[in-house]
Amino acid sequence: MSAAKEKVGDTVITRELVVSNKVGIHARPAAMFVKIASRYACDIFLEKDGEKINGKSIMGLLMLAAGPGSKLTLQVSGKDAAMAVAEIEDLFQRKFDEE
Amino acid sequence: MNRDAITVERFYTGHSARLDLKLLGGAAGLKRVIREPTVNRPGLALAGHTKYFARKRVQVMGHAEVTYLKTLRREERQQRYEMLFSYKLPCVIFCRDLAPDRDCLRAAEVKDVPILKSSLITMKFINLATLALEQLFAPRASEMGSLVDIHGVGVLIRGDSGIGKSESILALIERGYSLVADDMTKVMLVDGRDVVGTSSELTRNHMEIRGIGIVNVAAMFGAKSVRQEKRIDLVVTLKAWDEVKDVDRLGMEEAHMEILGIPLPHMTIPVRPGRDLARLIEVAALHTKLRRAGHNPARELNERLVAQMAGAKRGL
Repeated sequence: MSAAKEKVGDTVITRELVVSNKVGIHARPAAMFVKIASRYACDIFLEKDGEKINGKSIMGLLMLAAGPGSKLTLQVSGKDAAMAVAEIEDLFQRKFDEE
Repeated sequence: MNRDAITVERFYTGHSARLDLKLLGGAAGLKRVIREPTVNRPGLALAGHTKYFARKRVQVMGHAEVTYLKTLRREERQQRYEMLFSYKLPCVIFCRDLAPDRDCLRAAEVKDVPILKSSLITMKFINLATLALEQLFAPRASEMGSLVDIHGVGVLIRGDSGIGKSESILALIERGYSLVADDMTKVMLVDGRDVVGTSSELTRNHMEIRGIGIVNVAAMFGAKSVRQEKRIDLVVTLKAWDEVKDVDRLGMEEAHMEILGIPLPHMTIPVRPGRDLARLIEVAALHTKLRRAGHNPARELNERLVAQMAGAKRGL
């Protein structure tokens, strides 16, 4: 999308994530995600069915309405990208500490 | 940029109320794709001229078609139905509550062509259906940023998280302006010219404020504080003071930013503690409004300056 910031020279780390908790990304998991994302300086984007949102925006995450089983594409770029990706992947694997 | 195909089902479910559509048969074909954003009257095709037949479009039957079909013998009519439905049409819609005969419905069922009807008169239906289809076909995207309506100027406010977007939007709402979308704005190109923004239905009227959480703007500030959609007239990017290297001090030239291929006026406002961002955004909006009316204060001032200097040179 045109508003997405493209920093020259930064590699973009891309990951496919599947929402595996029972309810999907409702308010609490969304807040957990945004909290983690906001700790990093890198750009974090999440995409579902072609809709791309800023991973640091709680409204954006809620808007995705990512129910259980939905597939999301994570795109992270910036100097602390690798760490952010690891922490986010861990959050998805832990099913947002819900089960 | 359209993610999903425009199916008859999307057209039907999205616009059935407005166009007063009812499905009469061929439900199995609802997944058929509409490939062109307009309608066609299949009169000529029914009369046998199929050399040029706009089969990718929604087929609209009015008095002309129905009356013509009635002049045919039954076997002939059946053949025409079969011929019509052998094409890959999206669907056939009868206007004025005209009822398709049983042969028509049977032939459509065989080929899974959805048959619908509307109570609207044909002309009215065609006008509304074309508008509806144009909307379905309009290029869309999501923009990161919040959209606020300031005195009729739609301002898309962008900036990294934590820069002070929400605070300035809150201040703008308190000043009586209306919020269209917080943080994520869905944009659509209308008539190939206007970029119209709206929020996702799910998060409409809500915004997040750090430290407080999610608030319902409409409940808190009243109905006037929200608006469902607005054309975007200006893009304002809030940027940290030291990140803005080349700030425009005159505002003589207009910078642009492209959204859906349309260049929109763009201003970058450097942020520093103590700057009243809401006031600055408000002024930026009013400035845009004046500019659109043909005023450019920087240029006008400069012209006066140049004229005065020229006068001084001539010894006046």
